[in-house]
Amino acid sequence: MKILPFDYAVRNLGRSRLRLTLSVAGSALVVMLVIGAAAFVRSMGNSLVSSASPDNVILLGAGSEESIERSEISATVPTQLTGTVPGIRSQLNVPFVSPEVHMALAVGTRQGEASHQQVVVRGVTHTAYAVHPQVRITSGRAPRPGNNEIMVGRLAHTRIGLRPEALAIGNHLWFDDQPWEIVGHFQADRTVMDAEIWTALSDLMIAAKRSTISCVVVTLDEATFADIDAFAKSRLDLELVAMREMDYYNQLSAFYKPVMIMVWVTAGLIALGGLFGGLNTMYAAFSARVREVGMLQALGFARRAIVLSLVQESMLAAAAGAIIAAGLCLLLFDGVSVRFAMGAFGLRMDAVTLMLGLVAGLLLGFIGALPPAWRCLRLPIAEALKAA
Amino acid sequence: MVLIECRKLTKEYRKGDMVIRPLDGLDLDVEAGEFLALMGPSGSGKTTLLNLIAGIDSPTSGSLVIDGQDISKLSRSALANWRATYIGYIFQLYNLVPVLTAYENVELPLLLHKLSRKERHERVATALSLVGLADRHDHYPRQLSGGQEQRVAIARAIVADPKILVADEPTGDLDKASALAIMQLLQRLVRDLGKTLIMVTHDPNTAEFASRTLHLDKGRLVDQSGHATMEAVR
Ligand SMILES: Nc1ncnc2c1ncn2[C@@H]1O[C@H](COP(=O)(O)OP(=O)(O)O)[C@@H](O)[C@H]1O
Ligand SMILES: [Mg+2]
Repeated sequence: MKILPFDYAVRNLGRSRLRLTLSVAGSALVVMLVIGAAAFVRSMGNSLVSSASPDNVILLGAGSEESIERSEISATVPTQLTGTVPGIRSQLNVPFVSPEVHMALAVGTRQGEASHQQVVVRGVTHTAYAVHPQVRITSGRAPRPGNNEIMVGRLAHTRIGLRPEALAIGNHLWFDDQPWEIVGHFQADRTVMDAEIWTALSDLMIAAKRSTISCVVVTLDEATFADIDAFAKSRLDLELVAMREMDYYNQLSAFYKPVMIMVWVTAGLIALGGLFGGLNTMYAAFSARVREVGMLQALGFARRAIVLSLVQESMLAAAAGAIIAAGLCLLLFDGVSVRFAMGAFGLRMDAVTLMLGLVAGLLLGFIGALPPAWRCLRLPIAEALKAA
Repeated sequence: MVLIECRKLTKEYRKGDMVIRPLDGLDLDVEAGEFLALMGPSGSGKTTLLNLIAGIDSPTSGSLVIDGQDISKLSRSALANWRATYIGYIFQLYNLVPVLTAYENVELPLLLHKLSRKERHERVATALSLVGLADRHDHYPRQLSGGQEQRVAIARAIVADPKILVADEPTGDLDKASALAIMQLLQRLVRDLGKTLIMVTHDPNTAEFASRTLHLDKGRLVDQSGHATMEAVR
C-alpha cells in the first residue's frame, strides 16, 4: 500500500490550535485518570499483599478471623505454643514467636485532642522485628518497655492527619489518655505497618488495662502450617484459630475488592466521557476535510492509506497527552500517601502503572480516530468533492 | 486514434420511487490529443460525465472503454491505481492541501508510483517550472493567489504524466486575467505535451480554447439548436 507522508499527519495537527489543545488535554486527563486509578488500586493491593511473609502464621481468637484488632487471646499462648510445636524458626535460641496487641485508637498531639481517624497502635516485643523483617528503623531507636515510648511508621502522620514534622523524635502523642514519647521512626515499605505506631507490648497492655493479647505471629521453619493448625484445634480451651499471614491479608484485600472495582469503574466512566469528547473533536476535525480526502482518493490514494494517516494524527495528539500525563503523575502523585480504612499507603507510579496509562492514551487515540475517519470516507468520491 | 469510447453510458440515482438520470445513454468518442470542451446548463450532467471518465464514479449501465480497457469493470482498488496512472484531475477549487507546500502538493501523486526521491524531485521541479512557479516551491497555498494555486494544481495533475487530463470549470473561480493565463497553459499542455484534455465550462470564451465543444442537456448530447445529436461518435 502506498501511504501518505508522516509529515502530513504531523502538520494536520497544527491546523487548529484549539483542537490540538483539546485533543492533547483530553488525552492527558484520561491518562492521568487511568494512571491514578491504577496506582491507587495497585498500591492499595500491594500494601496488603506485601504485608504478609510467606512463612508466617497468625494465631488469633476464633471468630475474629477478619480483624486482629477485635481478637483477644490468652497471653500464655506463646509459651504454650513453643512448648508444644517444634520446628518454629529461631535464632540464638530465641523462637520467632511474636505476641502482639493491635488496637485502633484515636491519637492526638495534646491531651484531650484526638485524631478523626483511628490509628493502629501495635504493642510488640523484640521478636516482632524477627517475624516482620520488612520493618526497618530509619532514625532513633525501638521503644523500650516501661517508659511509654513509641516509634512511628513512615505514613503514620498521614493516617493521623498531621504534618510529618509533628512526629519528630522527642515529640509526644496522646492516646489512651497518656502521653507517649516518640523515640524512633520506621519504615515498612508497601505494607500496612507503614502507617502504624509501635510501642512495647507491656506498656500498651497496662495503658489499655487488658490482660489479653491480640495475636501471636509465628515464622515457620521445619514446622508446617498444619502443625500450628493442629495446635490451635487441639487446644479447645484457648479458642484459637491459625491463619497463614498471606490468607489473612488476601482476605482483607478481597474485602477491598469492591472499592477497587468502584475506582476502576469510575475511572472507566470518566475515561469513556473523555473518549466521546475526543471523538467529537475528531469528528469536527475530519468532517472539515471531506473534500480534501475526496481529492486524495481521486489522486489514487487508497482509503486504508487515508485512514492510517488520520489514525496517526489522532494517536500523535493522544501520545503527547499521555506523556504529559505520565510526567505530571510522576511529579505530583508518586509517593503521595493515601489514607484508607486499613491504614495508609503510598501511591507508587511504577513502570507497569505508567505503561498502563500510556497504552490507554494510545488506545484512546486509535479508537477515537476510527469512527470519524470512517464517516469522513463513507461518502462516494464524487460527492466528497462537492463538499464545502 | 480513439482514446475514450462511451457507449450508452448511463448514470442513475434512485431516491425512493424517483429515478434521477444525470446521464442518459450517452455515446461519445474522444481522440487522443484532443482538447474537448463540455458545455451545458447547470445540472445537465457535465460533472457526472467527467467523473465517470476520470474513474471516480461508476456508470449504472453502458460501457466506458479507455485506452482499450473497460474501466466500468474494474474493482474499487484497481480503479484507484488506474486513476493514478491515467488521470490528472484539475478542480474548480484547486483542492490543494493547505498544510503542504507547493512542492509537496505537486509531489503527492508521485508517492503512488515507484520512484526514488531524486526522480520525484526532478519531476516536481519540471512540473513546477512548466506552470511557471519554480520560485514558489516552498510556498503554502495560503501564500499564493488563486491563479497561482490553480497552476500548482495543474502541476500536480501533470506530474505523474497521465494520458488524460480532466478539468471541471478550472477558471470558474478566477478573475479574467488569471483565467486567460490558465487557459493558455492548458492549451500548451495539449499542444506541446500531447495530453488529452476534457474540460467542463459554461463560459463560451473559455470553450474557444478547445479543439471541439460539445453541449449536454438533461444527460444527452445536443447540437447548437438543442436537438439530440450523434455527431459525437466518429
Ligand atoms: N449523488 C447524487 N444523488 C442524486 N442526484 C445527483 C447526485 N449527483 C448529481 N446528481 C444530479 O445529477 C444531475 C447532474 O449533476 P452534475 O453532473 O453535477 O451537473 P452539472 O452539469 O451542473 O455539472 C443534477 O440534477 C444533480 O442534481
Ligand atoms: Mg458541475
